[in-house]
Amino acid sequence: MVDGTENDIKPNGNYSSDNNLLIDCKNVDVFYGDKQALYNVSLGINEKEVTSLIGPSGCGKSTFLRCLNRMNDVIDSCSISGNIKINGEDIYNPHIDVVELRSRIGMVFQKPNPFPKSVFDNVAYGPRLHGKITDKDEMHHKVEASLVRAGLWDEIKDRLNEPGTSLSGGQQQRLCIARAIAVDPEIILMDEPCSALDPIATAKIEELIDELKTNYTIVIVTHSMQQAARVSQRTAFFHLGNLIEVGDTENIFRSPENEQTEAYVTGRYG
Amino acid sequence: MTEHIVSSYDDDLKEISDGVINMGDEVLGALNNIETLLKNNDHELAKKIIKNDLIINDLGQSVENKVFNILASRQPMAIDLRIVFSAVKISLYLERCGDMCKGISNRVLKGDLNEAQSPETISLLVNMCSMVHSNLGIVMEDYSKKECDNSVKVWKSDSEIDSLYSEILMDILNSIKTNPDATDALVPLLFIARYLERVGDQATNVAEETYFVVTGEDLEGLEKTEVENETTF
Repeated sequence: MVDGTENDIKPNGNYSSDNNLLIDCKNVDVFYGDKQALYNVSLGINEKEVTSLIGPSGCGKSTFLRCLNRMNDVIDSCSISGNIKINGEDIYNPHIDVVELRSRIGMVFQKPNPFPKSVFDNVAYGPRLHGKITDKDEMHHKVEASLVRAGLWDEIKDRLNEPGTSLSGGQQQRLCIARAIAVDPEIILMDEPCSALDPIATAKIEELIDELKTNYTIVIVTHSMQQAARVSQRTAFFHLGNLIEVGDTENIFRSPENEQTEAYVTGRYG
Repeated sequence: MTEHIVSSYDDDLKEISDGVINMGDEVLGALNNIETLLKNNDHELAKKIIKNDLIINDLGQSVENKVFNILASRQPMAIDLRIVFSAVKISLYLERCGDMCKGISNRVLKGDLNEAQSPETISLLVNMCSMVHSNLGIVMEDYSKKECDNSVKVWKSDSEIDSLYSEILMDILNSIKTNPDATDALVPLLFIARYLERVGDQATNVAEETYFVVTGEDLEGLEKTEVENETTF
């Protein structure tokens, strides 16, 4: 169990199950003004795995997720201390190019948020912005490949010029995932990506997550315990800004070590 | 453990556990009757045991239905999942115990005890039945209290029942050697001993499940080494 202090982190223990550590967070504190949202969180996230962050509303899981691509930077009152390394590189180093960092870390939000542009331009937006692709044919290829990877191509290949907002909710969310992967990120952050979707659309996203994990490292915030159990290999439970327990998903849902975790996953948390 | 936010979830889980406990009570009642049956060769009691097996089966079916519903409606996790999963397994073990009791009763109705005329062997069978009854009673008591200390003791002491089974086996084989004419009369007693030994095995299975419910750990994996060490010279 990790309760936040460095001394509690066991080498090769629950902190990270393998040697393929990609994201290494140590002693992370986050404040919104005077209010502390995260307390000394230390968590390792493995490469090409899905890690679920679970916990009641306000526990800090989304705050933690947003630390990973420095989305919290846009909140004036937010201050962060501690250390977050991706591939050994401190992402809060002043010399880091945040735009470039975010091209390596895609993000998908709770509500699908396609840009008010065509389906094609939604996907092409990132590669254009980052100047990764200028050739027209190459861009077409990239858009198609991204939509195929997002499991959307067959459904909308004849609607590429229609507004992204004209798609169904589930299709919009997969369009957002296509947009995220079009810039070839290493990591995809998902903040409750299915909470606004019906069960069919949710199943398609979960199927997609399962496929994407072979190429990407995925961190997902979810309120659905069953979803965490289905899609992730490791699960971290947050409570009141503390990381209470992290471990293999199977163990967290079969016999968690911490009583607070058990109370939460069984619906006894009052 | 505190109660669920949704109180009807607690009711659903309790119904499942109560169903398993009721099955256990019925099987313990059947074993009690088997003890009397072996002592008295009471054919009316044998018929009653066979009839009661239907009740055990119905209770098992009811547990299964409730588990089916709770899995579909609640998607239990952690301790709740262990309770639900183990309820299915324990109800199957208890159903098999009921079948063993029915099997013994059927043998008695066929007249096996009339022919045997081996009071020493029957006395050993009565002792064995008493031990099996005691073990199952202990593990079911643990299950109802969501405790496991006594279940671990039962799990470790199953070898005593196995030893008694071996003793009965040798006793019958020796009797057959000295009096081959009694073979037909004595062999059926082997079946009764075998049935009881299998009920003893089911009691250890229930012990393993109870340990799993309470601790989330596998008793076999954790304790086998310890037991082996104790019995290795």
